[in-house]
Amino acid sequence: MTARRLAPALVLIALVLAGPWLAPHPEDAPVTLPYGTPGGGFALGGDQLGRDVLSRVLIGGRELIVSALLIAALVTAIAAVLGAVGALRPALGRLVERTADVFMLLPAVLAVLLVALSWPGGGRLAVIAAAVGTGLPYAIRLTAAAAAPVTAAGYVEAAAAGGERLWHLVLRDVLPNLRATLLAVFGLRFVAAVYVVSTAGFLQVGPQPPTADWALMIRENAAGILLNPWAVVVPSLAIGLVALTVNHAAHALAPQTGRTAVTVR
Amino acid sequence: MADRLTAGSPPPPSPPATTPMRRRATALPVRVAGLLLRRALLMAALLGLVFATVELLPGDAATATSVRGESAADLARRRELLGLDRPVLERLWDWMTGLPTGDLGTSARGEPVAALLGGPLPNTLLLGGIALLLTTVLSVALGCWAASRPGGVLDRAVSGTATALLALPEFVIAVALVLVLSLWAGWLPAVTITGADGGLASWQMLILPVLALTIPQTGWNTRIVRAALADEARAPHVEAAVLDGLSPYRVLTRHLLPGALPAITAGLATSTGMLLGGAVVVETIFNHPGVGSVLAGAVGDRDSPVVAAIIALTGAVITGVLLLADLVRDVATGGDAVAGGGG
Repeated sequence: MTARRLAPALVLIALVLAGPWLAPHPEDAPVTLPYGTPGGGFALGGDQLGRDVLSRVLIGGRELIVSALLIAALVTAIAAVLGAVGALRPALGRLVERTADVFMLLPAVLAVLLVALSWPGGGRLAVIAAAVGTGLPYAIRLTAAAAAPVTAAGYVEAAAAGGERLWHLVLRDVLPNLRATLLAVFGLRFVAAVYVVSTAGFLQVGPQPPTADWALMIRENAAGILLNPWAVVVPSLAIGLVALTVNHAAHALAPQTGRTAVTVR
Repeated sequence: MADRLTAGSPPPPSPPATTPMRRRATALPVRVAGLLLRRALLMAALLGLVFATVELLPGDAATATSVRGESAADLARRRELLGLDRPVLERLWDWMTGLPTGDLGTSARGEPVAALLGGPLPNTLLLGGIALLLTTVLSVALGCWAASRPGGVLDRAVSGTATALLALPEFVIAVALVLVLSLWAGWLPAVTITGADGGLASWQMLILPVLALTIPQTGWNTRIVRAALADEARAPHVEAAVLDGLSPYRVLTRHLLPGALPAITAGLATSTGMLLGGAVVVETIFNHPGVGSVLAGAVGDRDSPVVAAIIALTGAVITGVLLLADLVRDVATGGDAVAGGGG
């Protein structure tokens, strides 16, 4: 059941990562008419400079996916450790709560813009750093909430009373019991990262022309949307599909502990 | 959108230390003052964070906007003009004390930011406000509708659609809306046209931007409403009301919704941040004359002071909405009569 809901996301991500090898044309060479309609070996027509839309769609997702995977992995790893420590050490837990309250006032897209503009030359690293920073407080809240019942379990209390060191408690006793939560957090942070990175790309923070990038393609080709709608529609669909399938996979992974208002996202 | 993993968490947790105080039913003015102070401190922390981000990262407003071939002396002169040569703490103090008085700082080009944002801000607030209102109405209606037949086809359809929609970036939705509703069907204008006074030429210009903002947020909040109602339905007093044979409508309006109100309000309040973040994106697509257009220009000019000021403004608006949510929760749960009453 879970496997069936995971499969679309995994297949799609594999396809996007392999895309650049499947592209029939180079990403920055004009091979057909500007906004050329589909046909004659160009299944999706041409973009605003006459480059092959199909090739650019195949090439233009990899960087987004790699960035999003990196952000999700970093956030999940840091949140796993800090969440477990926060559950074991309440003072740190409270600090995390307050930080999350502050970040609630800061829309992530604006945070990415701020970091990218204050750090000229930061490039992709700036976007990734900002996305990790804004994603962390919420992820830690989730992992800390999941870790709290585990830390209250008898064997953890016994280990703590027995003088086990903090890192041992975190890595050996608490985290192995949070696998389901961590997988769900990873999926949800991936969806969030796709949102943030693609929106930043759309606002022209991130990949620069002539790089093929889905968000950038939507912006560049919007002017010719009536001449060759596919140049806009297909990258939009691609972003939408990635967000949708991964979101469904993440919800399938989320531990089903009865319905509560604390919806996992 | 997906930046608040636990946006729906019932009460944005108040410090444990204050809980015993609440039990003693502190006077309302004292509680309100406490809430105000808490929000003010969080806002100050946000401003400190933003300032530190601009300050600690390499590059400042003077180097970011420098033109090719500018000499070091020119750069130093502009730095002096922008006040960047003064001590950090002095500048932080000036920035933070200036904000409440309406002084939003100086852009990298030397213009006062308040003058740049004064005209566009009301347009953005109008767009976000309408979207928040529509989100509230739609998500409460859909959530109640789905909750009326728990586990039924309708419930699953609404919940599934909501889950699918909440993941989509606003600009993807906006492109789809423009393509279908304005370019193919020709029903609505694809770009916003402003009148002579800088306002919108007609109210129809608002429909597509509002829809693009509302759709993902409605997906998110419908899930929260649905889950909050399900939580509440398990409460003993609700089960008693159902067994007493009250009509479903009466159970919903008198017993379910009041109890679910704090969670719903908290969800909607956190949507405000997403709506404002999304608004700046949607505005650039539709050419809506709001803060987003200023922001797009600031991105082109690498003008970080403008972005910092926009964050301060959106932070203040979100703080205001969260404060309202705090008050709703306080009235709904904090009072001495309600919490213990029960039966």
